[in-house]
Amino acid sequence: MQATILHADLDSFYASVEQRDRPELRGRAMAVGGGVILAASYEARSRGVRTAMPIRAARERCPGLITVDPRMEAYSEASRRVFEIFGDTTPLVEPISIDEAFLDVGGLGRLVGSPELIASRLRERVAVDVGLAISVGVARTKFLAKVASRVCKPDGLLVVEPDGELEFLHPLPVERLWGVGPVTADKLAEKGITTVGEVAASGEGPLVAILGRGSGRHIHALAHNRDPRPVVSGKRRASIGSQRALGRRSRTFPDLEAILLELVDRVSRRLRNGHRVGRTVTLRFRFGDFTRDTRSRTLGEATGSTAAFLDASHGLLVARRDEIARRRLTLLGLTIANLSPADAVQQSLPFDHRSSAELDRALDAVRDRYGSSSIGRATLLGREGGLRVPLLPDPVGRGT
Amino acid sequence: MKFRCEREQLVEALGTAGRAVSSRGGSLPVLAGLRLELAGNQLTVTGSDLDLTISAQIEVAGDADGVAVIPSKLVADVVRAMEPGAVQVTVAEGDAEIAAGRSDFTLRTIPAEEFPQIAGAEGDAVTLDAEQFADALKQVVPAASSDDSRPILTGVLLAAEPAGLRLVATDSYRLAVRDLPGTTVLDEGQQVLVPSRALSELARLLSAGGAVTLRLGEREASFDVDGVVLTTRLIEGDFPNYRGLIPESHPNSLTINRSELLDAVRRVRLLAQESTPVRLSMSPDGLELIAMTQDVGQAHEALDAAYDGDELTVAFNPDYLLNGIDVSAGDEIRLETVDALKPAVLRTVGDDDFLYLLMPVRVS
Repeated sequence: MQATILHADLDSFYASVEQRDRPELRGRAMAVGGGVILAASYEARSRGVRTAMPIRAARERCPGLITVDPRMEAYSEASRRVFEIFGDTTPLVEPISIDEAFLDVGGLGRLVGSPELIASRLRERVAVDVGLAISVGVARTKFLAKVASRVCKPDGLLVVEPDGELEFLHPLPVERLWGVGPVTADKLAEKGITTVGEVAASGEGPLVAILGRGSGRHIHALAHNRDPRPVVSGKRRASIGSQRALGRRSRTFPDLEAILLELVDRVSRRLRNGHRVGRTVTLRFRFGDFTRDTRSRTLGEATGSTAAFLDASHGLLVARRDEIARRRLTLLGLTIANLSPADAVQQSLPFDHRSSAELDRALDAVRDRYGSSSIGRATLLGREGGLRVPLLPDPVGRGT
Repeated sequence: MKFRCEREQLVEALGTAGRAVSSRGGSLPVLAGLRLELAGNQLTVTGSDLDLTISAQIEVAGDADGVAVIPSKLVADVVRAMEPGAVQVTVAEGDAEIAAGRSDFTLRTIPAEEFPQIAGAEGDAVTLDAEQFADALKQVVPAASSDDSRPILTGVLLAAEPAGLRLVATDSYRLAVRDLPGTTVLDEGQQVLVPSRALSELARLLSAGGAVTLRLGEREASFDVDGVVLTTRLIEGDFPNYRGLIPESHPNSLTINRSELLDAVRRVRLLAQESTPVRLSMSPDGLELIAMTQDVGQAHEALDAAYDGDELTVAFNPDYLLNGIDVSAGDEIRLETVDALKPAVLRTVGDDDFLYLLMPVRVS
């Protein structure tokens, strides 16, 4: 079996777009971010700057660091163009995020060339047409392709041939295994396991004893390069969501209600644009002590109605009012899950005469035409809008 | 407290009262327990989650009066596991000893003074026929919502109508209305909203037949069935105005054998997966049921039916449709429709006491 899975990952995406558009930033230690670093150039990374680091801490490590404000529209546009190139390369594209995807090029061999050739053409097109560096790992499994792209960064290409897989994998540190974070790595290190090869040699039983059944089996399989997941294209999302970081200052409850309203407006509109309905509403909370948790509610029937999602999510927010005040909320997120196509929608009895479906349709039409900030709720007037993180385009009309 | 009784009797009382105990664990730890009170030979077992309280009374051989609160699930499991025959319960110094045959268990009790005293409703007693009331509950309660974010819809409306008592429930997708002509429980024009959970529990108790005595208070309702008293908090708020939702006229009317339709919907529903609807295609030739799920398959079934109206296809959630057909009485039912998006009405032919209104699924 040939290595046909590509993991393509744009290098230091936001920072690269800035360096592309502003030549004075090229070769400089620079980063994109407001309060925290969203992306750092390789020059800055080599001096210890990392994503999610507060800017002040980054400057301490890297005096003279240049920071620029994010331009989300530019990143969305660049991402869209890169994904077009992915789509030209093979129909089997599985997006992972705005700047990375898996591509399966198996079956294209006789038509186009070897996976290695396809990967190097892909890199060239992204460099020439979009002006960005993209690293590509090629392997038989998704897991190994992802490891390979990471190892060959920046601006690299690495093919792991089937007969060289374990030789490549086993010297790597355990952190390279999917699902192994600092906590798991520490647990393994206590037992003297620091490389992937040592994981592979230790056998499933001892790993299960250290990490529990799920994680133990999972990393044992990966260490032997057993990862049967195929590349799935056009897969409809299981959920759709948005979140808002609230910064350091404390917010009044009406502030939070207004932020929730904005999130519900945004997410439910995207849901409708994707021709989907959803049933489960989840609110995500992050508190001042960095703990996170979620609360969710499942509706009787799937809906696309802003009013229905607002009712449910507002109830969840109100239920935690005291706790939110006590623990200081630093992030509020909203996810709608349990999605299904909007081509069969249970109708509701019209108890109240305001027909919210008609209102939703009218607002969507205005926003589609004049932009998302062209019309809004009076409640939100005068409030700053949050920074909108660009998202993968919602797959619409592709398969089902 | 000390008494002896038959295991079976005690198992039943603990099980009945235990149904009011919340498995989710409420705010008060004491509510995870059952309150046992012995006065003479009368043992009263009470469980509560503050909204719903169930008390079961049984005759025992009492030895010493007293009160104790014992963990609900544990005491029920222990007594049920005993050998059949006599069980002796003795409570002293915070321990409940349960002995039967050669088994002897000691359970830690929960301080009884924390158990809330929930008074039954004060109003005048009205006695209803248990079988008829159970029948009405079976028709109406399933249509109530289980979504706690819309508390009003989790209730069943009991309303005084000129002709008698009316029960109404809706989850906003369907609406069930049942009239009990000649039954007067409330004053004219009065209405109350009773949590559907309490009425589901009541329906279980009514299965034995007999009579049920109802008392309505300001904030609670009590139902007394054969030694068991169920008290529930009433829901505050205004029930939606459902009258205006029932179409006054209906151009299309389908009359069909109820059990044939029930069986056919059950069959085709197998191919209505992933929340796809069942379509009813109605024409003078009869009824065709259609279900299709992409990448799974499809089902068609033709049924004989009398149809008066324009050719029309309406789609419904199969579960809502089935529930409506199932709880309608009689051999023949009628489905009245206006168009593919307006509420449809199911009725029993020749019986105006029950109506089931359901909203279609919009298909595109």
